[in-house]
Parts: sequence; structure tokens; C-alpha cells
Amino acid sequence: MTPAFSDSSEVDSTVESAPAVEFRNITKRFGAVTACDGVDLSFQRGRIHGILGENGAGKSTLMNMLIGLVLPDEGSIRIDGAPQQIHSPLAAASLGIGMVHQHFSLVDALSVWENVALGEIGRLDPSAIRNRIGEIADQYGLVIEPDARVGELTAGLRQRVEIIKCLRRDPGIVIFDEPTSVLTPDESVQLFASLRQVVADEGRAVVLVSHKLDEVLHATDDISIMRQGKVVDRGLASEADARTLARGMVGRDVSLRSESAALGLLSLDQKALDLAPETPLGPPMLQIENVVVREIGGRVVLDGLSLELRSGEIVGVAGVEGNGQRELGDLLSSLVQLDSGSVVVDDEPVSVGRSGAMAKAGVGVIPEDRHDSGIVLDMTLAENLVLTDQSPVSNRGIIDQRALESRAQEMIEQFGIQCSGPNAPMWSLSGGNQQRVVLARELAQHPKVLVAAQPTRGLDVGAIEYMSDRLRAAAADGVAVLLISSELEEILDLSHRIVVMNSGRIVGGMNRSNVDLEELGLMMGGSTK
Amino acid sequence: MTTTARRLGPRISEWLMFYVLSIMVALLLSAILVEATGGDWRPVMNALLDGSLRKPGRWGETLGTAAPMLLVALGTIVSGKAGLINIGQEGQLLVGAAFATYFSFLIGGPGPLNVVLLLIFGAIGGALWAGVAALLKFWRNVPEVLSTLLLVTVGGQLVAYGLSQSWILLAPLADRGNRNQVSEQLADNNRLPHLEIFGNQIPLAVVISIVLAVIVGLVLSRTVWGFRLRMLGRNPRAAQRSGVAQTTYGASALMISGAFAGLAGAAMLAGGGFAFGNYQLVPGFSANIGWAGLLVALVAREKALVAIPVAFIFAGLRTGSSFVGATGVESKITEVIQGFLVLALLIPPAVMFLRDRRRARAVATGTV
Amino acid sequence: MTEFFDAMGQIFTSESTYTIGALFAGFLAFAASGEWVAERAGTLNISVEGMLLSGAFTSAMGYHVTGSTIVAMFAGIAGGLIVASVQAEMSHRLTADQFVVGLTLNILVLGLAAFLDNELEPVTKHAAKWSIPLLKDIPLIGEALFGQRWPFYVLYILLPVTWWIVFRTRWGLEVRSVGENPQSADVSGIDVNKRRRQSIYYAGFTSGLGGWFLIFGQIGVFEDSVVGGRGFIAIAAVIFGGWTLRGTIAGCIVFAGALSFRLSVQGVGYEVNTELLQSLPFIVTLLGMAIFAHRVRPPAALAQPFVRGLK
Repeated sequence: MTPAFSDSSEVDSTVESAPAVEFRNITKRFGAVTACDGVDLSFQRGRIHGILGENGAGKSTLMNMLIGLVLPDEGSIRIDGAPQQIHSPLAAASLGIGMVHQHFSLVDALSVWENVALGEIGRLDPSAIRNRIGEIADQYGLVIEPDARVGELTAGLRQRVEIIKCLRRDPGIVIFDEPTSVLTPDESVQLFASLRQVVADEGRAVVLVSHKLDEVLHATDDISIMRQGKVVDRGLASEADARTLARGMVGRDVSLRSESAALGLLSLDQKALDLAPETPLGPPMLQIENVVVREIGGRVVLDGLSLELRSGEIVGVAGVEGNGQRELGDLLSSLVQLDSGSVVVDDEPVSVGRSGAMAKAGVGVIPEDRHDSGIVLDMTLAENLVLTDQSPVSNRGIIDQRALESRAQEMIEQFGIQCSGPNAPMWSLSGGNQQRVVLARELAQHPKVLVAAQPTRGLDVGAIEYMSDRLRAAAADGVAVLLISSELEEILDLSHRIVVMNSGRIVGGMNRSNVDLEELGLMMGGSTK
Repeated sequence: MTTTARRLGPRISEWLMFYVLSIMVALLLSAILVEATGGDWRPVMNALLDGSLRKPGRWGETLGTAAPMLLVALGTIVSGKAGLINIGQEGQLLVGAAFATYFSFLIGGPGPLNVVLLLIFGAIGGALWAGVAALLKFWRNVPEVLSTLLLVTVGGQLVAYGLSQSWILLAPLADRGNRNQVSEQLADNNRLPHLEIFGNQIPLAVVISIVLAVIVGLVLSRTVWGFRLRMLGRNPRAAQRSGVAQTTYGASALMISGAFAGLAGAAMLAGGGFAFGNYQLVPGFSANIGWAGLLVALVAREKALVAIPVAFIFAGLRTGSSFVGATGVESKITEVIQGFLVLALLIPPAVMFLRDRRRARAVATGTV
Repeated sequence: MTEFFDAMGQIFTSESTYTIGALFAGFLAFAASGEWVAERAGTLNISVEGMLLSGAFTSAMGYHVTGSTIVAMFAGIAGGLIVASVQAEMSHRLTADQFVVGLTLNILVLGLAAFLDNELEPVTKHAAKWSIPLLKDIPLIGEALFGQRWPFYVLYILLPVTWWIVFRTRWGLEVRSVGENPQSADVSGIDVNKRRRQSIYYAGFTSGLGGWFLIFGQIGVFEDSVVGGRGFIAIAAVIFGGWTLRGTIAGCIVFAGALSFRLSVQGVGYEVNTELLQSLPFIVTLLGMAIFAHRVRPPAALAQPFVRGLK
């Protein structure tokens, strides 16, 4: 896909007009951690600029400075040549900077127009806002019903509201922060077409922040690569290739399969790889039959979902976020009640809603959001390692402190957890290490089924590698592994068998060995060939 | 309730300085108030010290007043650790005392046994009253902060009703004198014994409450049950996954909390002397001990052992206040002092928390 | 049995029932309307009791010093705002626990009011009655709604203005967003805790007015027992009303009915047990919450303090 250049722009060092945004020697520290280290970067009008970097490279912090949520410790930010101090999102907005957030900034209980109006200053004028929504719809093809309640919209539509909210102020600089995690492949293509529209008229500058190499390679004009807080490379997208980009991101040649998957490379030759399970598969360990789950408002979130998992196999549940993956994870964590259907683990039916039933039945879970149900931040590391089962460290109802600590020490060594000791409070560990604690705890229970929901989200490449190895090792040991992920690359890298989830049910599947990317994409989008 | 302030390493001297400063500000404000309305601060201060500690027999009184406060505070700590907000102790205390009165007279029996029964029924009464809130919460999803609060008035009115009816609590005509709403007085051998130390009368309730404080502290930190309760309070979803049913553990915690309050009520009845209705149930019996106990727990930041000295301080204000009247200053000033003190004591942890949070974020942020 | 129905009939057809009921309901409405705003912002403000008492006392003092009911009104507002300032600043700037602060304030204000009342002994007088000509002749409710002392009529401005502020102004939109999803509001550039503090100040404002109304529109004298726990009933009314303003006002009317029922019943020669009657509003609220809990939706972030960066 060759990018269409707008006539009025030229990536030339002799350009007269100042860049839309210029970062000069930007440095930001959070305590001992240097998030951004002497960053020099500029974005031109009329072009899409991609900032590529793995999780933790500093791209989000940099953008947060642009949007006024964080102040730099050193360096300056220039907008259209003039140095600016951006104290708050309002200040950023007045400079014409807008961001479409990764985790959204919408209030579910309010309507679309109210959300679009949120954050402005001045008198509230509903009809003016509605008109503006209509204008944006016409101009960019982003159609939406202004009086709809945001809480009832799909993820794709919610992102649309976010974009409209951003465009409403007619920003000269638009930042998209990891926008495609909730979109189907088709919707992603549509999004990038909209990006082109946004940039083409009126010479806006668009910044696309992403860790997906493929995406940045094909959707942007200029690329900058960040690693460990520094900008390590920059250049034209047309002159870049996957290999050099990957090397820039990681700092060495990318050879390991999992690394390339983590970086978002879908190389065609890997596709045909026969990823057979290393040991012969055992009996079915997890049988989910026609499960229906309704949430409190009555909306059906799992709609007749059926799934079978055998001992020793890794099944990847692919799909765009928001199609019931979280609820599937919750189901297997005893966090929801069944409306109908059944769940059987190792031939024993499980009473799903009952507290701790799944854990007791031998289902280990690495949850999507460890803070939500995986760990207790305020308890110590040692305590977190025995959340689901205190019997190894207790005697007749009393906890043996020494046993607790020594057990924790063992696991710290075994799993390489970086911390200040067994009594370190959980909140003092980094995300990757917290994830290791969860993994350690779940594996220590010798589960029959291990559910890993978005296990590598927010982790850097090293941690991703580690997690992937552990999952493979678990499967080799006979555990039935269920991998739920919205990152297709991760699924393809690890799974023996792939199923696709859409609208709360499994709509199809295929073996890894004969995977058809196009059909996968279609299934994820809700249609079949 | 609130996240406890997360300290990165001990800075006890800093904390101490902060607290001392806040307390002094509170006392200063109180002094200004007294002076501004024409009183004199020094006699008031002396009266407080006299009434709570200095004069003979007073510190025993103070201990005796602190005991029920401590009991209520302990119960509050238990439900607080489970993540529940119980603010209905005043009602649970009263219902507990009413239960104790009723069943003690109903069942009778030899002295010491009756006292034990009395205490047990007090606990049961309080537990049942908290149980109403638990039922509403776990069956119909009514937030316990609201239900326990509303049940305070309901409880109070029900007990007052019971006191006006001779088939429930009202003493027979012969025993009441001119009063309309009193229960029968507990017989001499039905009362909690006192220990005599240096001329101070210390009701057994004091010993009971301190022992229970230690037990509660140990149970919460060292037992499996305590561990699970704390898990529930910190992360209910992780708890649900780990086999800690919110309904079971939560309801138990709430009812235990009520039981402590009810026990306090029974202890006030059976061991209180003149400070608490003179061994009979009267209107206004609870004397705001329930609210005081709640405040003790909150000021002690939900630590059982810390609650002991805090209860003593609050009790001291109360016993001291009875001497303040003699100085010519309205004795209500002690409630004002108490209020200023509590507010002042809230400021240091809040400020420290804000400061620590910034530092903690830096450490915890591996991914930025 | 027919006697009972007769008595009921008498009560419901007597004007005084409605007049008394309107006074009680009006008082509750002053407090509840402000508390409604505070709860829509996500705060659970239990110091309403203290705000009301403070407003009552300061307005009494205001009149005592100047002899003007209007000055008393401003004094009452100031009284409510002072209590609100402690609640707002301590729990939404200094992150102290809002329940502790609220409860302590109630006790503190009670102590202060009793103490100062004893020392200063303010003397007050009822405000003038303003009967609106034609309207007051409407049968049954005319007197109640249009034949009261003039402080009552302030409600007719306060309630619609409150509604308008919350639903038609930007401030109101931000307050609502802050109570539903403070994280989103924060990212959108709204100062969450500032809006919460402001909503508590609003509650202080209306409750201060309520305290003034209590003295000058209803009772006529100040005593430290003058509020008597009705601040909590106002909170109950907001919950009973499902966090809508209409529902809140309905709650105030229903509860006022329960409160004044005792007086009406005595009026027709019956004696219904005082205690049970006093607890009726609370029991009704509990039942109401139990029955409607699933259908009624509180603001999603109610009673959850917001500190940026933590979740």
C-alpha cells in the first residue's frame, strides 16, 4: 500500500515552515526510572508519523507530555516553532493538540453528544454539538447517533466517538495511541483510511503510536523508533523494511520466533509452519458446553459458547476485544454465574458461580487484568503466592510465617522474580514481575487447565519471551492451556489449534498447521467465506 | 475503608512530630473557643485531667468507659478488614443491651452464670441486628453503609418501645419509682465484678476487652480466616476466585462486628455503674458509645492494638468532661474538643499518604 | 375497623395535615436537593446533619445581631458552607476518609451548637407569612403550598434552579461525569476532586438555607435538638428517589408524611406508638432500597474516592 503524499509537504531538511511539533532534548524521570531520555523528535504537517517501540519504550510518556498529563523534567516542546508549556489537557487543546486515547475517555452513563462535549469550556450548547457531530460524520465518514448512550455501543463505535470527540475541536495535531487493539482487521483498514483523510485536508499532523511493526510500516509516512526512552532511528516508511525496524525496536537481530511474533511480524513462511504439539494429546480436560451468561443489565455476553480442550494442547482463542473474551476468563475464574450450559473439568462438572469452584477443580488462571482478580496489591508477595490455597503454609488454621516466607523465597528463585524479598508489598513490583507471581502461583497448584488471558499485555519483549516459554512448558507437561488473546501474532506463535470468538461464541476454528489468515480475519469480523 | 498510608521505610519521628503538631492545633482551637466565650482555658484543662486521671478513682472510671468503646472498635475493625463499612454500632449496641436485659431476666439462674449468659445474649442481639443489614446487603444488594446507619434509629426506637412495654423490658411498677421507661435493675450478684487496684474500681469488662483486642489482632494477621477476610477486603474479585465467598465471609464479618457492639452494650449494662444507667436499661443508654467506638477504630486506622490507647484517650475526654461543668464552662466543650482532635488526627496520615503515593508510583512504574 | 377508616379519612381531608406535611417536606427538600447534587458527583456526604444544624445556628445568630431575616438567611448559608468546607477539603483534597469526617463533623457541630447556644443564647422570631391570594384557596393543598411563611417559597426557586444547573450547564455535565467515571473525566481534562468539592459546597449552601428555613419558616426558635436526625432522612430520600431529583422530592414528601403522621393521628384522638412511628421513614427507606435495589442505579463511582494514578 503506497502512501499518498499530500502535495504541500516534503520531508526535506530545507523546509521553511516549522514542524507542527518539535521535541527538543525531552527528558522525564519517575523516581529511579528514566522514561524519556533526551528525546529529539519532530512531526510535520500533512504527514502521518509513526512512533514505533515495544511496551515500555517511552512512547506513551512522550505523548502524555504532549497532551498535558505529564510535565517534562528537561527539554522543550515547540508547537509550530514556538516553545510551549503544556500544563493540562485543556492547555493542549487550546494549542490544537488532540488525542484519541488507548483506554478511552468516555463516560458510559452519558450520551454520545454529552461525551463529545466533555472537557470543553464555555456554555453547553447541545444543538451546536449535534451539528458538529453531523459535520464530522459527513467529512470523515464517522457516522454515529448523537443521543445513543455510550455504554450501549460496541468497542468500534466507542472508538468512533473518541475520534469525533478529538476532532470536534478541529485539532491541528492528532495523536492515535495504540488504536487497533479493539478493532477487527477490516475496521483497522477503515481506521487507517480515515487517518489519511484526516491528514489530507488542511495539513494536519497525525501521530500513530504503536508497538505493531506491520501496522506502522504500512500506514505511516515517517517512522521513528524508540527504545528504552531514546529515539534510536528515524526515516521514511517507504525506505524501511521489517527487519531493520525490528532490529531498531529490540536492539539486536530478531531471530527468535516469539520475538518476531511479539513485534507484530506475520511473515508468510512462518504461517505454514507445522506447529504440532510436542507430546501426544491426552484426554479432554475442559469441556464447555453451550454456555450462556448474561450480565446484570440483561445483555447476553456469552451466547452458547462451546469449547473443548485436551491435556497437553494449547488452544488459542482469537478475536477482537469485546466479544466476550473477558467474560470467558471470568467464567473460568468463578466470577460469573451461568444462565445455562455446563462446564466440565476432567470429567467432573463444576458449579461455576460458586466461589473458588474453578480453582478447586484445577483451573489455573492468569487473568487479563491481574489487578482485577489476579493479585492483591496491598498484600505481600508471599501472601499473593498463596491466595488460592493456604494449606501448604498453614497448620490447623494458623499461618506458619516461616513456611510462608521460605516457600516464597523458593518461588522467587525458581521464577526469577525481581523484588526486595518475600515480604515485599505487591505494589512495589513491576508489571512483568507481578505477572511472574501470578504464573508461579498458578503453576504451583499443578493445574489441569491453565487459562492465560492476554498474558503478555503490557510486557516488554524479554518478559513476553519468558511467558511464552512457560506456557509451552506447561503444555508439554500435560496441562491443557487456553490462550485468550486479541493479539493474533501471539495466538499464531503459541497455539496448536486456533478458535475464533465473536459475539460471545466460538464461530469457527482451524489447526495451526493449516491456518488461513484471510478466513481468520473474516471470522473475527463476524462473517465467514 | 480508605487505603492505609503506604510507608516506604520507617519514619517514626516524622509521624510523631506530625501527630503531636495536629493535636496541639486541636487543643489550641479548643482553648481559643473557650476564651472567646468568656471562659478560662486552664481550669478546663485541669478539670479534664482531674476527671479522667488525677483524682482518686478516676482512671478506673476512664478504663471502665474505654472498655465498651474498645469492644465496639474491635468489631468495627473486623468488618473494616472485610471491606465493609459498618456505621450502625450505636444501634447494634443498644439492641444487644436490650437482648441482654430481656434474656437475663427471663432465664435467671445463679449469679456468675447469669452474667455470662447476659454477655452472650448481648453479643447475639448485636449480631442479629447487624445481621439485618447483612441480609439486606447480600440478598438485595443494599449498601451496608446506608442500611446500618438507618438501622441505628430503627433500633433505638424499637428498644425505646420495648422499654415502654412491661411485657418486654419495662420493670414492674413497684421497682421503677417515678420513671417511665426503665428496665428492672440487675441484682447484685448479676453484675460484672470489679477489680480493685490502688483505689480504682476497674470492671472486668476492661480485662475482657484488652484480651479480645489481642485476640482480634492475632486472628486477623495470623490465621487463615483472617487472611481470607483481608483478601476479601482488599480485592473481592480475587477473593471470589480463591474460594472466599463474599456472602459467607462478609456476612460473618458484619455479624461479628455487631456481636462486639452488642457485647459492649451488655458489658455497659452489667458492669457500668453510674456511668451507664446503673445496671438498668434506660433511654439514652447507649450514650453515644457506639459512635465513639466507631471513631476509635477509624482513628486507630483499623489496628486492634492501637485501638487500646485511642479508646483510652476518647474515654478520658468523656470522664474528664463531667468535671468541666464545675469550672463554669459548658461541658459540651469536650465534644467539641473530641471533634477537633479527630479531625486533627486525620490530617497527618492524609498528607503522608499523598506524599508517599507520588514516591510509590515511581517505584512501581516499571512500564512507563 | 370503620372507625379506623374514618380516622384515616379525617386525616387525609384535613388541611392541617398537608400544611404540616409541607413544612416537614420542605425542610427535607432543602437538604436533600443539595445532597442529591453531592451524590451525583460521587460523594457520600453524611455531614448533612451538621450542615443543617450549623445553618440553623448561624442564621439564628444573624437575626439576633441584626434583627433582619434576610441577613439571617445569608448567615445560614454561611453556616452551611463552613461545614461543607471542612468536609470538602478534608475528604477531597486531603484524602481523609469521607465517613469519618462526616460523622465527626456531625458530632462536632452538635457540640459547638449546644455549647455556643448556651453561651450566646440567640433570640429569634418567625418570619412573616405570605399568603398568595387565589392559589391559597385551592382545597386541601392550597394552604400547604401557598399559605406558608415566606422562607418556604425559596424552595420554588431552589429546586428548579438545582435541576437546571445539573442538567443544562457544563458544570452539571462535569459533575455527573465525575460521579459516573472519574477516570474518564480526568483524562478529558476535568478536575475531578474540584468538582466533587464544589458539589459538597452546593450541598452546604442548600442545607444552610434549610437550617434557616427551619428556624424562620417553621419553628421560630433555636435549640440544639432542632434538626434531630432529619439530615439522615434527607440522605435516605436521595437514595429512595433513585438519585433523580424528582424521586428525591417524592421521597421527601413520603417521609415527611411518615414524620407528621404521628401529629395528625393524635389530632384525631388516636395514639399511635411514637417510637414505631419515628422509625417509619427509616424502615420505609430500607424496604424501598431492598425492593428497588436492582432497578435503581447509583452513580457508578458513588463513595469511591478518586486519586489520579490509582486504578
